[in-house]
Amino acid sequence: MRKEIANIHSSVQRKAVTYQSEYIDTLNRLLGENEHLGELKFFLDTAYLWSNEKAKNHHKPEAVILGTGIPEELVIAAGAQPYWLTGGSFGSLAWSDDIVPRDTDPVSRSILGYICQPCGADFSDSLFIVPLSSDAMRKIAFELKVQGRSIVTIDIPPQRDDKNAKVIWQRQMQSMMRAVSQRTGVRVTRRAVLSAVQRVSRSRKALKDFLDVSRGRSDIITDSARLFVAGSYYLTDNIDSWTFRLQALTQRIYHLRMQMPFARNDRPCVLLMGSPVVFPNYKIPFLIRETGLEVLDFADQTAVKNSLICGTDMFIGSKARLIKTISSVSYMNDASPAFVNNLSLYRYVSALVQRGDIEGVVYHVLKGQIEYDFELERFERLFSAYGIPVFRLETDYQYQDVEQLRIRLEAFSEMLVHNRCREVKKAL
Amino acid sequence: MNIQTSQMLRQERQNKRFTDKQTQTAAKYLRRLIELPGEPEGIEPFYYALGRIYVKMQGLDLPQGTKTVGTYCVMAPQELIYAAGAVPVKLCSGNYTAFSIGEDIAPRDACPLVKAVAGFKQTGLMPVYEDCSLMVVPVTCDCKKKVAGMLGEMCDVMTMHVPATRGDDEIDEFVSQLYTFAERLEQATGNRITYKTLADGFAKVGYAQRELSEFIRLKKQNPYLIRGSHTMAIMNAAAYMPADRWAAALNRVNVSLRRRAAAGQTVTTKKLPRILLTGSPIVFPNLKIPLLIEEMGGIVAADETCMGERGMYDPPVITDDSFDGMIRALANRSLRPCPCPTFADNSQRLYRLKQLIADNHIQGVIYHVLRGCLVYDFEYKRIEEELGKLGIPVIRLESDYNEEDVEQLRIRIEAFIELIKLRQAPEKRTEVRTAF
Repeated sequence: MRKEIANIHSSVQRKAVTYQSEYIDTLNRLLGENEHLGELKFFLDTAYLWSNEKAKNHHKPEAVILGTGIPEELVIAAGAQPYWLTGGSFGSLAWSDDIVPRDTDPVSRSILGYICQPCGADFSDSLFIVPLSSDAMRKIAFELKVQGRSIVTIDIPPQRDDKNAKVIWQRQMQSMMRAVSQRTGVRVTRRAVLSAVQRVSRSRKALKDFLDVSRGRSDIITDSARLFVAGSYYLTDNIDSWTFRLQALTQRIYHLRMQMPFARNDRPCVLLMGSPVVFPNYKIPFLIRETGLEVLDFADQTAVKNSLICGTDMFIGSKARLIKTISSVSYMNDASPAFVNNLSLYRYVSALVQRGDIEGVVYHVLKGQIEYDFELERFERLFSAYGIPVFRLETDYQYQDVEQLRIRLEAFSEMLVHNRCREVKKAL
Repeated sequence: MNIQTSQMLRQERQNKRFTDKQTQTAAKYLRRLIELPGEPEGIEPFYYALGRIYVKMQGLDLPQGTKTVGTYCVMAPQELIYAAGAVPVKLCSGNYTAFSIGEDIAPRDACPLVKAVAGFKQTGLMPVYEDCSLMVVPVTCDCKKKVAGMLGEMCDVMTMHVPATRGDDEIDEFVSQLYTFAERLEQATGNRITYKTLADGFAKVGYAQRELSEFIRLKKQNPYLIRGSHTMAIMNAAAYMPADRWAAALNRVNVSLRRRAAAGQTVTTKKLPRILLTGSPIVFPNLKIPLLIEEMGGIVAADETCMGERGMYDPPVITDDSFDGMIRALANRSLRPCPCPTFADNSQRLYRLKQLIADNHIQGVIYHVLRGCLVYDFEYKRIEEELGKLGIPVIRLESDYNEEDVEQLRIRIEAFIELIKLRQAPEKRTEVRTAF
């Protein structure tokens, strides 16, 4: 019996070590690559505090959101600070391995792993908000229910042009707000909704400025750090402080840009899109940099969501109108693959391509996220119209395939360099 | 010879190869069904329907001018399609040749059913697909969702949102979807759906359901009057026959089964282990699993797949006989009793399985998972646990439409059947079959 308990303890410890070493490695690397940017430390600390088991023990989140598809304005207005679970950790897969089938995508497995983690945040009193964006999420919602947790499921109507789709979404958003409000005991008022919209919009505006200022300047801040800063929004428990720090970081980068107005750009610029890259599993952005490429833009569900900044015209009307507007905007612009046709992502990517500085596309597909694979064909047609080569990269959260991916990415990088030389020759 | 002509010739050769391979596979499985002993009298119309679609590669046997509407799930109510003067045809396919063509179009990890559908649509050689005036795709899984978008680029498609929960709000929303479906059907067929035509639609499907319920009653008898593989052929043929014609043919089978019951004539005198088949759908011509079970000395006593009894098992209950009441009855029937794993909470399926186990004296459950069919795979663990409490052994068989894994499956199924036999009381055990 004692031996058995010892075995269980050592297995838990082993899992925890893998998990811990993963996020520490990523943070160390980000820090090492961007040491001159002291302002970045706040974001690294935020991620550290979110990931660290000891710090996590103090977390007792009221509202936990799975994925990034829910408009957080509505949750904040109902009195809760959202605690996002977006997956991304190879270490956390170990805690869900026995619960889900082998072919489940790593994002869903990782999310479930975080919840089932023995020494993680205390979710015993949390309300789980689960957008049913995929088959795995649907089944995870039920698994959580079986475990006795409080859940609110959000069904996503897959056809946006269906006349009832928006109404169905709005009804569910209202139910979700009611559930959060009951949990927190905070009454939803017009002022609370307005304040939440303004706070979130301010954060998104700050993020947009940051991404614009740091775009194409990997000599000042690396691509992985840009991606990390954008993702750290989902790890913070204080978005106002996060916004303020981001503004400071943007200012610093701006000044550095002014000091070094010319940057030698000998790296082919690529667009990274497809399955979202989530902290701490940054093997793809790290590999992209190592193979001599530069990620100019990111295009996934989170990137599209972050680009939604509410105008002042949205701040008018009654509380019900505000909620309806927020719900509609979020639904109509949701770029998750939960739709028959992912038009939002298509529009977003089309706009990026039209800028004319993307030389190649790295299309990232996480094993099991089949919807992204289905969408690839349509994007390939778009890119071929602009003569942009697409590189499909399939992986999961394991680190064993890194060398294989490196070889493939190097070949792609060489091809892009070759294309660039050909263009120069043509011009001459 | 110019490039265009050579391309055309190449395409022709490819088409011929596809047609030959496709018909050969279908003919082989049809032959295996026919050769299986103990087929009931009156089963020929079902074989004819399957042969017509897959071996002769013709459209549905319908009067000229009758329109067909393709469906990809049992949640699209057939009654509405009949009410619009059209005939529903289930387009989910189990064809290996189409599956291999679909592999070039759909992603590698997509389920074989979706690949086969994509393959058939791509070749444009199957009249049953090409004749459809409208296709309706209820979104029950990620693959179906994306294949709806893919098909939408080739033909007229209506996507139907299947809610993940079954509350009153969801039922109301599904009702409004059925109204939209009715509108789309009217546009596609040019016929109006009226109270009378809808009632006629209910009558047609109701007749089939009545015959099916009698068939299920007869099938339950122990010792068995019919083999599970023959039952699967009958159920699969329902996809390609108008409901009234299918019901009339089933009525003849029921008569013959009643006659068998009266004469004490069973398909075998041996006490074979009674197996329940559940999980991903078994679609013709991919009948390798039921055929293997019965070749290995078991009998498929019940199936819970959506190409089987589930499709028509539950009749709509009309509590309000207005037009809206009938639509509401269809929505309730489609969602409330359905044990499809598309629903987040699918405890219903467990109750249904337990009921089937009790009704059919099931001794073992074979859980079929089509490679890539994640929703069924998710439910396996819970079902295995629950059935374990009842002492019912469960085996998970993962497969696709490929025939290369047949021997592997055979060994596993054989071992499973042996296990069940060993659990039986010694006097009930039968000799192990050595020749087939």
